[in-house]
Amino acid sequence: MGTIIDAKGLACPQPVVLTKKALENNDSVTVIVDNETAKENVSRLAEKSGCTISVESAGDGTFRLSLSKKGAAPSTVTSSTLSETSTAKSGPNVFVISSDTMGKGDDELGAALMKAFIHTIFSLDYLPDTLIFYNTGVKLTEKNSDVLDDLKKLEEQGVEILVCGTCANFFNIKDNVSAGIISNMYDIAGAMSRAGRIVMP
Amino acid sequence: MTVINDVEYYVVLFNSVSYALKSEKILKKENIPFKLIPVPKSISSDCGVCIRFTPENRGALINALEGKVEYNEIRRL
Repeated sequence: MGTIIDAKGLACPQPVVLTKKALENNDSVTVIVDNETAKENVSRLAEKSGCTISVESAGDGTFRLSLSKKGAAPSTVTSSTLSETSTAKSGPNVFVISSDTMGKGDDELGAALMKAFIHTIFSLDYLPDTLIFYNTGVKLTEKNSDVLDDLKKLEEQGVEILVCGTCANFFNIKDNVSAGIISNMYDIAGAMSRAGRIVMP
Repeated sequence: MTVINDVEYYVVLFNSVSYALKSEKILKKENIPFKLIPVPKSISSDCGVCIRFTPENRGALINALEGKVEYNEIRRL
């Protein structure tokens, strides 16, 4: 009933895809990964699909993740992460930042507007539950970003920040992402599809 | 939600957004700490941006902008 997946050397999101597939036919799955991002992504998948997970570090940079389904695993994701502050009753309040500029036309102006927007989020009556950054938006989460302090403050308030790993990789800033968690299309599309409301500046 | 704000801030206000953006460039180049923020509603309901800074950077900031960018006024937040 158990199965072992060797996901070493596989690029995101392959480890998650393989684990997800294996969980369809098995009650327990062991996944071996060789990087931190894969470890976290698989761990999140475990949480979301109602599995218990134990992580063993092998010392050589690889991790052995043992997932097993809880008694009656929920067939769909739980809504335990939904915050009460959301105005939308049907689901979380999600802000999607798809660019490092706000609006189309002039990028210099757009960059200033986006900074002003991010700074303003903190003082909104209803904080978003999740902030998603993709495409050039991921640059706002970089170490030298002008809005890094704003993002840190939001994280302290419990706002989940998802940063598109593919995008960070594309712009070669993965090691510089200093807010939120490097995420994948499963989490991003999932968060968007569960949202009660999506705000896209 | 309570925001504890024990830092003293000042803002430079401009007559035009383009002056604010020009100042941003200059201050970045000079490595003077600041933050571009929307003009607080208590000051103006216009959709503007301004430069926020802390008192210890006041002198350097004024020097850097002197003769390069025209600003409207400096106010305490």
